[in-house]
Amino acid sequence: MVRFAIDRTVSAVVVLFVLLLLIFTVSRAGGADPVRGYLGANASAEAVAAARERLGLDQPLFVQFGQYLTGLTQGDLGLSLSTRRPVSEELAQRIPATAELALWAIVFALILAVVFAGAYSLRGKVAAVIRFVLFSAASAPAFLLATAGVLLLFAQLGWLPASGRTSYGPSDGMTGLYVLDGILAGNPAYAWDAFQHVLLPALAAAIGPGVAIARVLADGISGSLKSGYAQTARSLGESESTIVRRHALRNASSPALTLLGVQIGMMLSSLVVVEQIFSWNGLGQYLTSAISAADLNAVAAISLVLGGLYILINTLVDIVLAIVDPRVRLT
Amino acid sequence: MLFLRELTPAEDTALVPATPRPRRHFTIGEAIALFTLGGLIVLAIVGPLIAWYSPIVPSGVPFLPPGSSGHLLGTDNLGFDIGTRVVFGLRISLFAAVTVTVISAIAGMILGTIAAFVGGWLDSVLMRVTDLFLAFPATIVAMAIAASLGASLSSSMIGIAVVWWPMYARLTRGEVRRVINSPHVEAARMSGTRGVRLLVKHVLPSVVPTVLVTASLDVGAVVLTLASLSFIGLGTPAPAPELGLMASAGMQYILSAWWIAVVPGVAIALVALAFNYVGDGLRTVLRAKGF
Repeated sequence: MVRFAIDRTVSAVVVLFVLLLLIFTVSRAGGADPVRGYLGANASAEAVAAARERLGLDQPLFVQFGQYLTGLTQGDLGLSLSTRRPVSEELAQRIPATAELALWAIVFALILAVVFAGAYSLRGKVAAVIRFVLFSAASAPAFLLATAGVLLLFAQLGWLPASGRTSYGPSDGMTGLYVLDGILAGNPAYAWDAFQHVLLPALAAAIGPGVAIARVLADGISGSLKSGYAQTARSLGESESTIVRRHALRNASSPALTLLGVQIGMMLSSLVVVEQIFSWNGLGQYLTSAISAADLNAVAAISLVLGGLYILINTLVDIVLAIVDPRVRLT
Repeated sequence: MLFLRELTPAEDTALVPATPRPRRHFTIGEAIALFTLGGLIVLAIVGPLIAWYSPIVPSGVPFLPPGSSGHLLGTDNLGFDIGTRVVFGLRISLFAAVTVTVISAIAGMILGTIAAFVGGWLDSVLMRVTDLFLAFPATIVAMAIAASLGASLSSSMIGIAVVWWPMYARLTRGEVRRVINSPHVEAARMSGTRGVRLLVKHVLPSVVPTVLVTASLDVGAVVLTLASLSFIGLGTPAPAPELGLMASAGMQYILSAWWIAVVPGVAIALVALAFNYVGDGLRTVLRAKGF
C-alpha cells in the first residue's frame, strides 16, 4: 500500500515536471511574441531588444527554463506582461475565487450523480424522457447551460444573481472562500448571499460530470445487484435497500470515483468558460484576458496551477481507491 | 513507474456504460440522431453554396428576433443573419474537428502499431510517453498550447491534436496485440509471411476499422472543445463565423437579445448530442454483433 502511494506520488511529480517543460517550451518558442504584447505594437526595434534582454528572453531556451525553475521554487512565476505585476500576486488574488467555485461544482456533481443515478435506474416512459433530458444536458457545452441558467433563473424568475461573487464587498475573512468566511464570521446573511452567487456557475459546470458519473454509478449498481454476492445477501434475508447500501453502492463507487478524477479535468476547463459568463474574478477570467493580451507568463502559470490541481486530484483519488479497494493495488 | 494506473477489470467494464439489453438495431432515438447528424453534415457542406446572405456582411436590421421574415433565426447586434453564420460556423467547426481527429488518429495509429509490432524497449518508451500525455488535463493543455502559438483556429487545432492522439495510440496498440495472436495471423506466419507484409495484409485490416469508428465518434467531442477554445478567444477573430466566438460575443446582449448567444450554442449542442447518441447506439449494436 505504502509502495503504491509512493509510486503514484513520484509519477505525479514526473508528470507535473513534463507538463511544466511542455508548457514552458511552447510558451517561449510559440509564435506569439510576449515583448510586443508588453511594449505595444509600435515599440521600436531597440526598445524590443532592450526589453528582451531585461526579461532574459535573449538567453538560450534551457537557460531560461533553469531560471524559470529557480524562480518557481521561490514562488516567482515571472512578470505578468499585461498588468505589469508579478504573476504570483495576480494568482494569489484569484485562486480562492476559483477554488470556491470548483469545490462547490464538485459537491454539486456528486449530489447530482447520486440523484441522477436514481433517475437512470427507473423504468418506464417518464424515466426515458428524464434520461433523454439528462443526456442532452450532458452533451451541451457548459456555456449553453450557463446561458440557459441565466435566462431562466435570473432574467425570467429573478431567483438568483448572475454576476460576481457577492452583493456585499469582498470578504475579509481568512479563507477567501466567501461562503465559508461568512459562516466563520457568524454572518449567515453574507454566507447565504455568496452561496446564491455560486449556485448558478457551479451548477453549469457540474451537470456534465454529474450525468457522466451517474451513468456509471447506475450501471455499476444494476450489475452488482445481479452478482453472486447480492444473491447470497438476498438468500440471507437482507432487504433490497440494505443490499444496495451495503454491497452494491460500495462496489459501484470505485469506477465512479475513478471517473470523477477524470471529469474534474473537464470541469476545470468548463470553469474557465463559466467564469467568463458570470464575471467571476478567478483564474479563468484571468486566463481569458491573458490570452487576448498575449501575456504568456500568465497563461503558463494558470495552466500549471490548473494542470497541477488536476494531477493532484487524480493522484489522491487513486490512493484513496487503493485504500478502499484492494484490487487497485494489485494491477 | 506508472503514470496512469491500470484499471481493474471491474472498472474497465463499468466505465463503458452498458445498456440493459444488447440489441442489434438502433432505437428510434438513435435513428433520429443519425438522421440529424447526416442533415447537419449535408447542411455544412451544401449550405454555404445555397446561402443567400453573406456571413460577414450585414443583411438586415440589427436585433431581429428569430422568426422574422427573411431571417429565420434572427439577426445579431450588427445585422448579420444568424442562420447564415451558423451554417458557415458548422462548416468550419466540422471541417476543423474532422481534420484534428484524422491527424490525431493517424499519429496514434502509427505510434501504437510500431509499439505493438516492434515491442521491447521501443514499446515501453512509446507507451510511457503516451501515458504521460494521457495524464495531462487535455483541454487545459490544449488552451495553453493554442495561446502560445497565437490565437487562431489552426493554433487551436494543433493544441487539441497534441492532447488527442494518445487515446488512439493506446487503442491501436491494444488492438494490434490482440489481432496478432489470432489464428488467421498465426496461419499467415506459418505460411511464411513476415514483417511489414504480415502487418499490412493481415493485422491492420482488422485494426483500422475499429480505430476509425472510435475516432469518427470523437468528432463531436472535438467540436465541443474547439467551441470552448473559440469562446475564450482562441479562434479566428471576429467577424469570422465561428460558433464559440458567436456565442461569447452574444453574451453581452443576453438579456435583451438572447438568441444571438443561444442559437450558435444550440447548434454546437445539437452536433455533440447527435454524435453521442449515434456513438452509444453504434457501440451497443457492434457489441451485440460480437465486435
